[in-house]
Amino acid sequence: MNAYQKVRAGLAMLWLPIAVLAAAWVATAAADSFYFPTPPVILEALIDGFRQDHLWDDLVFSVRNIGVAVLLGSAAAVCVGLIIGESRALTHATAPFLTFARATPMVAFIPIFIITFGIGAAPKIIVIAIGVFWPVLLNTITGIRGIHPAVRETAVSFRIPKLLYLRRIVLPGAAPQIFAGLRIAIAVALVLMVVSEIYGSSVGLGNYILESGARFQVAATWAGTVVIGALGYGLSSALILLERRVLGWHQERPRKNSRPKRRGSPAVSGVFASRRG
Amino acid sequence: MNNVQSSANTLIVEKMSKSYGSGADEHRVLEDLSLRVEPGEFVTIVGPSGAGKTTLLRCLSGLVAPTSGVVRYGEVPVSGPLAEIAVVFQDYRASLMPWMTVRDNVAFPLQGRKIAKRARNDAADEALDSVNLPGVGDKYPWQLSGGMQQRVAIARGLAYSAPVLLMDEPFGSVDAQARFELEDLALDLRSRLGISVVVVTHDIDEAVYLGDRVVVLGGRPARVIDTIEVDLGRDRDQIATRAKPRFAELRTQVMTEIRETSISSR
Repeated sequence: MNAYQKVRAGLAMLWLPIAVLAAAWVATAAADSFYFPTPPVILEALIDGFRQDHLWDDLVFSVRNIGVAVLLGSAAAVCVGLIIGESRALTHATAPFLTFARATPMVAFIPIFIITFGIGAAPKIIVIAIGVFWPVLLNTITGIRGIHPAVRETAVSFRIPKLLYLRRIVLPGAAPQIFAGLRIAIAVALVLMVVSEIYGSSVGLGNYILESGARFQVAATWAGTVVIGALGYGLSSALILLERRVLGWHQERPRKNSRPKRRGSPAVSGVFASRRG
Repeated sequence: MNNVQSSANTLIVEKMSKSYGSGADEHRVLEDLSLRVEPGEFVTIVGPSGAGKTTLLRCLSGLVAPTSGVVRYGEVPVSGPLAEIAVVFQDYRASLMPWMTVRDNVAFPLQGRKIAKRARNDAADEALDSVNLPGVGDKYPWQLSGGMQQRVAIARGLAYSAPVLLMDEPFGSVDAQARFELEDLALDLRSRLGISVVVVTHDIDEAVYLGDRVVVLGGRPARVIDTIEVDLGRDRDQIATRAKPRFAELRTQVMTEIRETSISSR
């Protein structure tokens, strides 16, 4: 790809965000509303927040919580998923419970957790980790059950020891599904992070937007919201990078039973499954 | 690799039957089968689709246990997969791991034997050379053609260095040209390495072309209808051998036997 093509590819992806930002700028400047500050005002509040206010500490607190929780929750989910998914009986026995567990929004448990564990970092990490746990667990099980029976049979016929089999066959075989679960998990984790910091917390990005909002520092609230959005974008991008490293074989492999191109959601899969990297 | 002569390395099936299900739902697939595969011998098992050929091969490889009768390797009962028996599966697309390079795929079974990585990779490269696939170790299986992928699967069986190689319809899903090459490769490997090869196929010509002996399966449940010694010599040639009158006689014999059985069991 030459420089011209790179610029074109970049523009193809960036024109919409730029247009949205420009439209917001024009609209907020024209409206002169107290509740909708212009982008420069938000930017100023953002810089002030980092320089003079405690926005940086809040960001660190939030990032640490969500980072630790996503690692713990997904690691636990993959381990438990390996145990359940490798057993047909366990898969059947746990299916109704797991469906129920996933269908219950974790946000609803936040008050209970705060009553039980207090308002420190620990209850927030626990809540986010559990929220992450369910989608990753369900996808790990689905991924393992979806591994072609011939793969299993090959491993058996070559007398592959159990641990080696789990590590080199089952885990990579289920990896595409596990990553799909992680994407859902990150969205869930962000919601839980913000809500857990709004409800009973003196620190964190959620608390920052709550506090500044209560004091009618609208630009600061917007700035906090922008930081949360950027954090979500950063986490998703990190996951995509990891996915490209781990699932290179999966993304490059030609689809044997490829569906017609029109199905699926190209707007999402096109960006995330980009094969250029 | 393994040059085995003693009869301790004979694969023996004695009065074996295999059913699926039980009670009223019992479905008998194989009945009272007996056969032997001597060291260094090339045995083909031929029969119509649905005759239980794959079930037989799964019993031979220890993947499923027979309902009655015995499968043994020398004196050792085949009650599970043995280190002495390598299997090449019909579906190479599913049996090669797409997340492993070709070399890793071939070397992987050796990792289970706790062989050092260097030695594993050397064995894999040597096996890939044996199947005429030098220099593809760093590619992924899905970057290769179907015929090449099946060669990789064969190389994996060879690297396992088992004295017996079982192949289930190994050349069924590749094009005709690749098929001839793979058939000759299988014959060549038997001669060079002294291994026993068992090929299950529905293709009568292929069975006669490859086999020192052809085991004809037929009927429902399937039995051994006949075991035919193929007196075409060890050196086979795709054109000359298939043009011999004796080749035509043998294939006619197998075909007649299969047809008569399928009519009588109807």
